[in-house]
This record gives sequence, structure tokens and C-alpha cells, in this order.
Amino acid sequence: MSPFRTSSPRGVGPRSPKRSDGRGAAPSRRGFLRGVLQGSAIFVGLPMLEAMLNGNGTALACGGAIPKRFGLFFWGNGNVPSRWVPATDGADYTLSEQLAPLLAMQHKLAVVSGLSVKVPNLLPHTSGAGGLLSGMAPLSSDGNETFAGPTIDQVIAAEVGGDSLYPSIQTAASDSNGQSYNGPNSQNPPETDPYTLYERLFGASFREPGEEALVDPTLGLRRSVLDSVSTDILTLQARLGAADRARLDQHLTGVRDLETRLARLEEDPPSLEACSRPATEPLAEYPDVAGRPQITARSRVMIDMLAMAFACDQTRVFGHYICDPVSNNLFPGTSSGHHNLTHDEGGDQPEVNAITIQIVTELAYLLERFDAVAEADGTLLDNCCILGCSEVSLGQTHSLDDMPIVLAGGLCGTLRTGLHYRSYTGDNASSLMLSILRGMDILAPSFGSDDAYTEAGLSGIEV
Amino acid sequence: MRAALSPLLILLAAGCDEVVVEVPFERGAQPVYTAEPPITRRLTYDQYVHTLDDLFGEGLVIPPSLEPDSRVSGLYAVGASVTSISALGVERYESAAFDVAEQVLADPERRLRLGTCSPAEGRDDACAEEWLGTIGPAAWRRPLTTEETERLVGIAGAAADTLGSFDDGFSYALAALLQSPWFLFRPEVGVVGDDGLLRYDAWELATRLSYFLWDGPPDAELRVAAADGTLLTDEVVAAQIDRMLADDRARRGLRAFVADMLHLAELDVLTKDPTIFVYMSEGLGASAREQTLLDAEALVFADDGDVRTLLTNTETHLDRTLAALYDVPAPAREGFGATTLGESGGRRGFLGQVSFLALQSHPTSTSVTLRGKFIREVLLCQNLPTPPAGLNTAIPEASEELPTMRERVARHLEDPSCAGCHQVMDPIGLGLENFDGLGRWRNEENDTPIDPTGDLDGDDFADAWALARAVAVHDDFGPCLNRTLFRYATGRAEADAEQPLVDWHADGLKEAEYRLQFLMRDIAAGPAFRLVGSVE
Repeated sequence: MSPFRTSSPRGVGPRSPKRSDGRGAAPSRRGFLRGVLQGSAIFVGLPMLEAMLNGNGTALACGGAIPKRFGLFFWGNGNVPSRWVPATDGADYTLSEQLAPLLAMQHKLAVVSGLSVKVPNLLPHTSGAGGLLSGMAPLSSDGNETFAGPTIDQVIAAEVGGDSLYPSIQTAASDSNGQSYNGPNSQNPPETDPYTLYERLFGASFREPGEEALVDPTLGLRRSVLDSVSTDILTLQARLGAADRARLDQHLTGVRDLETRLARLEEDPPSLEACSRPATEPLAEYPDVAGRPQITARSRVMIDMLAMAFACDQTRVFGHYICDPVSNNLFPGTSSGHHNLTHDEGGDQPEVNAITIQIVTELAYLLERFDAVAEADGTLLDNCCILGCSEVSLGQTHSLDDMPIVLAGGLCGTLRTGLHYRSYTGDNASSLMLSILRGMDILAPSFGSDDAYTEAGLSGIEV
Repeated sequence: MRAALSPLLILLAAGCDEVVVEVPFERGAQPVYTAEPPITRRLTYDQYVHTLDDLFGEGLVIPPSLEPDSRVSGLYAVGASVTSISALGVERYESAAFDVAEQVLADPERRLRLGTCSPAEGRDDACAEEWLGTIGPAAWRRPLTTEETERLVGIAGAAADTLGSFDDGFSYALAALLQSPWFLFRPEVGVVGDDGLLRYDAWELATRLSYFLWDGPPDAELRVAAADGTLLTDEVVAAQIDRMLADDRARRGLRAFVADMLHLAELDVLTKDPTIFVYMSEGLGASAREQTLLDAEALVFADDGDVRTLLTNTETHLDRTLAALYDVPAPAREGFGATTLGESGGRRGFLGQVSFLALQSHPTSTSVTLRGKFIREVLLCQNLPTPPAGLNTAIPEASEELPTMRERVARHLEDPSCAGCHQVMDPIGLGLENFDGLGRWRNEENDTPIDPTGDLDGDDFADAWALARAVAVHDDFGPCLNRTLFRYATGRAEADAEQPLVDWHADGLKEAEYRLQFLMRDIAAGPAFRLVGSVE
């Protein structure tokens, strides 16, 4: 058996683009290459590709060679609604106390308030998280709580993720399980260690544009090992019951993703102007300071990497988690754990307020960082949709009304920015998710189920 | 169910093979048992490490994070039956497999465990096949098929051709073994026996026994009993259980169970404000866990004593960190030493340990609710409803009128919307208020004496010690421990139809004077551990 296979007997190879794209977008970079060359083993140099796609840069617009991308910025335990919602709505509005850190990016985002998560609020925090991100009431049996369906990031990754190196990247700035599900009990855990994340994304196998493709005979050998693992999974699956077969399906998907990734490392890196190694390498460790985790430092170094992961087309979807629902981190300057404070602090919750402002400051860092990367005739941020949200509004009562939501980037001009959109009728939060899917050119007829089901997008934020 | 029976040697014939269990007391007939469908468990992180320890020798460098474990029905051991492997997990297992393979092949002693033939410098299919014949069944806990062996020999050979070295080549076959679902999962299907009943086959049973009693893989002796099928006989399975409980690895198994039941893994990320708790230090969580585990080891294996004693005894194990926090002399200069806490102090048993007191507290304070909840749910297996949404949960700040937690949480107990749940949790936790949020003793809070009195389901207690005794003698404690061990052993919550069997094991535990070794043996030899239903 040859260690240098070019295709596997089970059809493991780059996935064909599944995008149901109604906008006449150009085919994906790799799909395009394969189509042109009809499977030839010779890979064309990227300058030629650029010449075909790009005259003066405008052909590189969104949805074409420059893909649309989605990022989730999530934090747990909610906000203080009375200090979050701007006093007026529409285009001419003043940011609230808690949103003030976003001032420099105000023209590139929409504050969306007044939406409700429509699932029954039976499982504190989990109902909100599952209801918002998957549009379905989470499942619970004997202490095991799990989302009932895929989260928005994975719905998107399933459509657009196959063209990049990683279907999605999940990162967390504190100890976290993340909020990304493929389905029940099938979670995508985040990377919580910045250095490990760096090794994965920008380690030995990373090539900057213009560099030669990786020549490494072990890549083929590793693929032959993964092919053997796939064979084992299929053999085993045939003997098991339905539930265990589904679990092994997830395993198999991961194995095939990795096989595909290894194959792509042997291709020339994409010629993307904005792509380079992040300027700063993360530290080996981020130890707690006075018992407090370094959430800010960790978040920022991860966001620097995520910006380049997008710019280098290593992924088109990320989930970034500041902290989990119910997490009890000690934030700097606070007298108790985050979750404790949301429940125990009275009045207008000055300490929860301070924590929320710190979290929004990290969102602002993300937006400014992405906006600093020039891409095509705009910025990286312009070509993204960044959804900032939490699983509840007022943590004290686990409220699922008036959810805290910031929608930034405009997604190549498909989503409105520079306004505070307020729903006065408690609109279904699923409608926002549907608008995002449609902005991503994913033709989804609906989002959510039961009380959270919708076939209508949130027209007020669509262009 | 407690019908008169021939004493001492009881023939248990309940729709399964005749399982002869010797018990030192009269025992009711084992209830009729209907087997449950098989499940496939994923190795937990600890089991992954233990498995590699046993296959290749301890001390391998293994990444600190693989696929996260998840707690279901109170246990990671049950979560292992529903979790899978994510895309990130696949990457991590791949990287770990190559790391381990490299370490094994680079170390002459570890390398010897792979096989005895001396390979050629480059490709050597015959030697690769011999090595796979040794390490393959140990890693996959079953013999490899011819096709599998040929495939892996092919991987090793192709890699040796490319890389020019047998060892480098074989590392790819080893990495294939270690990434396979046959290694990362414990698949179970069952086989129809001579009596027509579906039971776990000998390899599956060997694997069930070893991960239950050792938290690791079958050793050579178990593999022999699996390979020749003798493990399916009552005599051999009973003898193997006895041998396994006498082996040092049973201590590892007990530690895994105790840590799982008592949530001790969470001590790795103990969050405490060091400006409030001056005895907080980086290694405190690990020390606290070790104290609890050493106490359990001593009680269960050295003494084979009444497991309820773990809640009430003054004998314990401390290192200097804990001794300072507990304000007692350190029994050892380095590491842990056995010691006896003074009779006059209020600290006794597990409920007086940091591993419970600090974990079931907030980062800057105690939590009467968390402590009460843990005792109800984990030690007594009583179900509490999740808090309803929409409640204002704020509790008032400490003040002159409300100096101690008892006054501050009074609102929980007076407001009807809170009291329904909090009245079964907070009064228990108030009995432990003499221990601060880290577990240090205090007589007063805000210059006001702490009142630790209360009652547990009608059993009055005057202080923390009396509370611990009330928990230990509570009617639900033994059955709860039994239910938890049953779930731990089988990897799932018991089915309704299994309740009579679970009760029967609980009765056995009581009759056996709460000796945990008895219960481990009883469950391992029992029908739920050996019979299986059809694949669904």
C-alpha cells in the first residue's frame, strides 16, 4: 500500500461546497481549482487564480473569492438590562452605559434589543442558551442537560465550513465547555489554552501566502492511519445500536475532517493579502492573578489569532466564549463570583454592571481588531457577521426577555449597522438567527422549533 | 423478598446462569432479572491514562486535555455512555497517540512490552506482526482479526519504507491502534451462551471487570481467562474478582469511584479569593482530594470497615498544607501521614474536609445551599427540583441585624416561593457554618456566635459532627451509595425494571455491615454485570 495516497477509497477528500447560494457567488477557491483542473494532480499557482478572479480588487468582494464569515462572541450570566438598553432607538441613538465601550465601532454594529427566547424557561441558563443558539428547548434527563439540535455556528459551518481548513474553531478565555452543539450530546469543546491554539493554527504546518506548500512524507502516513481508523469505525458501527452508531458518526466526521485537513496542507497556501502569522505569540501560561483568571489577556490573544484564522481562510466560523453560563469566575475588582453576584447582589447590581462592561470591552476589542485588517476594498469586519450575546438578560431571574444582543460587521452589506433596533413586541429571537443564515446565503426555510419556530427573518435588521 | 433460605451458600438462580455467591449472612432470593441493552462507553480521561500506564508503564507524558468528560446521572462513568469524540477530540487523540508511540519506542523497557522479536533495521513485516499479536489484543481488549493485523502490518511497513526505520514505521501502527474506536471506546454487544441467554462475552466481561474494579484495562491473566472463555464460568469470575480486589490496582479503582461520586475532579479548578482565604494556595485542591482518597483507601482496603465511618471518624491523613488549615500538628514532614484529630474539635469525617467544604462553597463565602444540596443529592440520592425561573434570588447583605448566614438566608425559608426547595437544603448547610468557605474552623461570624443546630429529616443535630452522624445513619445513605456504585459499574442509570435488583444489592450492603468490598464483589458477580439485552 502506498503511503502517498491522493484519494482514499472511501471518498475522503475535500468536501464539495454545499452552499446553497442564491446570489451567484463564485465557486469556492478549492472547488474552483478542482473544477478547472479536473482532478489533475498539478496544482496551479495562486497568482494565476488571482488573475482570473481579480482585476482591480472589486471582484474580490464578499461572497465571491472573499468568503462571508460568522463569529459568535458569547458570555454567560447575562447583563443588567436597565443599564444596557439604549434610551432611544433607530439610527440616531446614544450607547448605554454598558455598551459604551463599543463607541468606536458604533457605525459598524446594530444593537438589537427587545427580542425574547421563546422556549419554556424550565432549565435555568440552559433553556436560554439552547433556546437562543439552537432555537430548540434543551433536553434534560436525570441531571444530563444537552441542547436538542445544532447551534447557529454549526448550522453555518455545515454549509460553509467545508471549504476552509477547519469547519469551525472554538475558543474560550476561561474554563469553559462552550455552547456549540452538532446535536444532542454532541458538543464542540473550545480550546482554552492560547498556546495550544497557536500551535494548531500557526504552528509548524502553517504556511504564509507565497510560501511553498508543506512537503512532509508523514502527512500521507498520518492519513493512512486515519483511513484505518475510519475502517474501524465503520466496522464497529455495524455491530452497535442506533444511539451508539450516532456517537460514532460524530467520531467519523472528525476523523474525515482531519484527513481532509492533512491533504490540504500539501497544497500551496491561499494567496490572501491580509494573511500572516499573528504578530504576537501567546505566552506559555496565563496563571491566575490574585485568584482571578486573566480573562482579558487570554481573550485578546485568542482574538488576534481568530482574526488571522479568518484572514488566512483557515476557518470561516468561530465561537469565542468569555465565560460559561453559571460560571463563577472572580473578575478583577469584584467581591464575589460572577454567578453569585448576579443572584445575590441587590439594587441595580453595580458589580455585575462592572463585569458586563468589562466583557463588552472585550467585544469591542474583537470588533476593532477585525476592523483593522484590510480585506478587498473594506475590512475583515465588513465581511463578517459577529453575533455578541448571552443566554439570559437579567441573570438574577434568568429572564429570557429583552435579550442582550449585538450584531456587528454587516456581513458584506446584507445586515444593517449603525442603529439600535428595538422590538416592542418581544419578537422571537430565532428570527434574528434566520436573518443571519440568509445573510450567509444559506437558504434556510425556518429556524427553531415549537414556540421558538419561525419562518420570518427580522426584517428590521436586514438590508 | 427476604424468604428463608439455606444459609451461607446461596444459589442465585434468577433467569441467569447459576451464580454462586458465598455470603456470611442469610439473604433473600435474588429477584428475577431482565437484562438491559448494551452500551458503548468512551474511556474517560483518567481511564485513558491508566490504560496507557498499564500497557506501557507509568510516567508517559500525556496531554492534559483530551475530549472532555461529562457528568450524567451524577457520574462521569455514566456520561461516558453518551459522550462521543468531537473534531477537536480527534485532533487531540491523534497527537497524543503519536506522542505516546514515540515515547514507547524510544524507551528500551517500554519497547519490550510490544513484543520479543528483534526487528530488522527497516521494514520487517514478520516482526511487526509478532508485536501486533502482543500489543494488539492488550490495546483493543480482544484478538485482532487477520484483516486488521494485515492492515496494521501494512501501515507499519509502508511507514518503515518511507522513513527508513522499523521503529519509526511501527509507531504508525501503534498510533493506529491508539486512535481506533476499539481502543478509545469499550464496545459491548454480547454473545448467546450455551443456556440460550445473551451475556457479555468473555472479553467484554474482562473489560467490564477491569474498568470497574481497577479503572484500567484487563491484565495478562484476565486476558488469558477471556481468550480461553473460562471467565464465563462462576468459579473463575469469582476467583478473578477476589484476585482483582487484592491487587494494588483496586486502590486505583476505588479512588476513581470515590472521586467520581464526590465530584473531586472539580478540585482542580478550585476558585477562591486568596485575599479573603489566607490558607488558599495553588496545591490545596489536590491536597484536599488526596486526603479524602487516602481515607477511603485505608477504610475500604486496610480495614475493610463500615464505609459510613468515613463520615464520622477522627482518623485521617494530612499533609502540611491541610494540617495548617485545620490547625493541627502535621503528621509528616513531607507528603501525607496518618493522624487522629482531637476528640474535642468539631471536625470529623468527610463533611469536615476541604474537599467537601471548599468545593461546595462560593469563591468568597460559604454556601449553605450548595452544602445542603450536595448532602441531599449526592450522599442521600434525594431529588431536588431545579429552581424555577423568574425568582428574585438576592439575599440581604450582612448587617447588625443580620450578622450570620442564618439570619441572612431566613428569607429563603420564609418566602413560600423559595422555601419549597430551600427548606430542605439551607438548614443542613447551616449546620456546617462553623467551617468557612475554605473549610477553616470558626466560632463566630461578624463577632456573633454561630448557631449550628438543626434537624435532618427529623433527626436533631447540635453541630456539624452530629449532622455527619445523622447523615451516616440516614435510611437513604446506604441505598444511595449502592445506587451510585451500581450506576458506576454499569455505566447507566438503573432501569425501572432493575429496581428490585438494585434494592437487593442495597440489602446485601446493609447485611454486610456496609463493607464496600462486599458490594463491589456483589455487583461484579451479579446479573446486571454479566447479562445483557439485545442491541436496540
